[in-house]
Amino acid sequence: MQSATGPASERAREAARFPSAAPDAAPVLEARALVKRYGDLEAVSNLDLAVRPGEIYCLLGPNGAGKTTTIHTFLGFLEPDGGSVRVAGFDVTRNVLQARRRLAYVPEQVMLYRNLTGLENLEYFAALGGWETLTTTRLTEILVDAGLPRGAVGRRVSTYSKGMRQKVGIAIAVAKEAEALLLDEPTSGLDPKASREFSELIEKLRRRGVGILMATHDLFRAKESGTRIGIMRSGTLVNEMTTEEIGHADLERIYLDHMHEVEAAK
Amino acid sequence: MIRHIVRKEFTDLLRDGRFRWTAAIVGALLLVSLGSGWVETRRADAAHSAARETAREHWESQGEKNPHSAAHYGIYAFKPRLPLSFLDQGVDPYTGTSVWLEAHRQNDFLMRPAQDATSGQRLGALTAAQVLQHLVPLLVILLAFGAFASEREQGTLRQLLATGISRRDLAVGKALGVAGALALLLIPAAILGAIAITIGSPGPAATPFARGAVLTVTYLAYFGVFLAIALAVSAWARSARTALVALLGVWVLNGLVAPRVAVDLSKWLHPTPSAVEFARTMEREMEGGVEGIERPDREATASRLVAEHGVETVDDLPLNVVGVYLQESEEYANQIFDRNYSALWNRFESQGLVHEALSFAAPLLAVRTLSMGLAGTDVEQHRHFATAAEEYRRDLMRRMNGDLAENSRTGETYLADADTWAETPPFLYDAPTVGWVLRNRTLSLAMLGLWLVAAFLAAAASVRRAEVA
Repeated sequence: MQSATGPASERAREAARFPSAAPDAAPVLEARALVKRYGDLEAVSNLDLAVRPGEIYCLLGPNGAGKTTTIHTFLGFLEPDGGSVRVAGFDVTRNVLQARRRLAYVPEQVMLYRNLTGLENLEYFAALGGWETLTTTRLTEILVDAGLPRGAVGRRVSTYSKGMRQKVGIAIAVAKEAEALLLDEPTSGLDPKASREFSELIEKLRRRGVGILMATHDLFRAKESGTRIGIMRSGTLVNEMTTEEIGHADLERIYLDHMHEVEAAK
Repeated sequence: MIRHIVRKEFTDLLRDGRFRWTAAIVGALLLVSLGSGWVETRRADAAHSAARETAREHWESQGEKNPHSAAHYGIYAFKPRLPLSFLDQGVDPYTGTSVWLEAHRQNDFLMRPAQDATSGQRLGALTAAQVLQHLVPLLVILLAFGAFASEREQGTLRQLLATGISRRDLAVGKALGVAGALALLLIPAAILGAIAITIGSPGPAATPFARGAVLTVTYLAYFGVFLAIALAVSAWARSARTALVALLGVWVLNGLVAPRVAVDLSKWLHPTPSAVEFARTMEREMEGGVEGIERPDREATASRLVAEHGVETVDDLPLNVVGVYLQESEEYANQIFDRNYSALWNRFESQGLVHEALSFAAPLLAVRTLSMGLAGTDVEQHRHFATAAEEYRRDLMRRMNGDLAENSRTGETYLADADTWAETPPFLYDAPTVGWVLRNRTLSLAMLGLWLVAAFLAAAASVRRAEVA
């Protein structure tokens, strides 16, 4: 751990950066000794991972490392072959609906109903998430706060760009007041401006105490946005560090070193 | 929760141009078939009414005539059309709806539109029942094939399930959403149908609304079967295209293959003679006699009557031997008719049972049977009417021969007057009740019920196991 200006000022900066981070709080997302197999292939091996309220945990790794499998296990789309996954204390295998009601999910491509407007999509997903009492005015505000142009709120989604759809995805998470947010390569394919806006949005959610798990290939965004970073390789979490621990170190070099170990092993 | 899914599905469908066009076409065909069926029924009713009055008028204005000549003169009986027959013509175009009742003969039915129709007319005839049995299920398939498969393909299924909604609620919501869109089409048609029954049923008031209510439930169950099958296949299929192809396969099997197989199999298992063969057999038996049926003999009848009355000769008898002999001849012929027609009707019934039994493979067969039954146009109700008409014919012959026997002496020229014809009661027919129809169709009812239960269980299982991505 390195510090340019001393531990006190570093802590102050961190406190300003992560005002709602609660290191001692119970994890909202927790995997214990998680194992998931596809036939003979072990996609996730003995994974221990915990995301607390106010944390952005960036999960890095090449394609096939097990990031999406981990996220799908938290969502209850896949059943673990070993270990357990919990969302806000609920065992996903036993209480999948309770678990899902406490989380929001933004995939690489947020898919919405093309014949409905952005507002109607948000109304629908918010209602299904149990937030039926939100008024149209409030939902419109949420969409606008998420960065959707006010003029686009009432337009059919078939006219939206990918960036606009991702913003609706975030708006759904906001409307749902989810305790945990699962992001599966959410900035993939977004232009730098849209990507930056997206990072700002999830930072807002983090400040509200949402625990965020983001699978990504974007090392720059991970270092910028994440509070902790985990590197997965062949289903195993090979490194886990806080942003503080990375400090001025080159994340790309750390990441590539781990990948080269794989190549060498092959 | 479910109401939000219903509303979304409904809105989504209404904004889908494909649905609007398909529903408009099916709706237009349904309205045209309802309208043309109603007009045709009204026209046929008017023709029957006029013919019934004319036939009665001719009967009563025969003038002085030997009653047996009057029996040969005969009278027409017309099968009254039940109010729902405009929905489903059933076998009426093939069996005919009127019969000429005369002495010594149990005639075939007349007024068979199918016989007079050109091949083009036969192909072009579209009834409301055909639209309900074939096109509405197709519309259900087009509405529901993507319910899960398209959501999975587009990625929205993951996002939907991530909200915490249960699969069961999702499936129920989707089913109700499709049902709501379908109701937009069917409710106006049902209202028009009810109005048509109310204002356009000169036929007997044979509980049309009870029949209509059961018919409505029957078709709703049928559409429910297709909706559940569509949801099951949609949840199972890897892609929307696969779901659509599989469901179109089901539609073809149900609507085209199964009815053809049922017809061929029933004819193979229970063959019926051709009309010519049937007539020849009866003619042969009538002339040659049948073992066990005593053939009347005029001399024997005369001798028996002379003995019974204790007189010397037929001239001393207080009745006309010819009248008695003619009635005995009628009764002899009736036994031949009963023997042949019973066998023929029983074969038709067995063929119908094959159709009903095969409905385990295709719900259309059960629905078609129930639809014809409730519309009053199936073989059983044709038989019910034919039996009533034949009883009337036999009673009429008994009256005419009795009048001849009782009011004249043997060898005397006897002419009955106009009062005799006027005193003859007209043919009145009471159509069977809805209970009678349902008792005859328990197998079809059971099959449709089984289909409904099985389809919903399949949908529940398929939705429970549906892959998310």
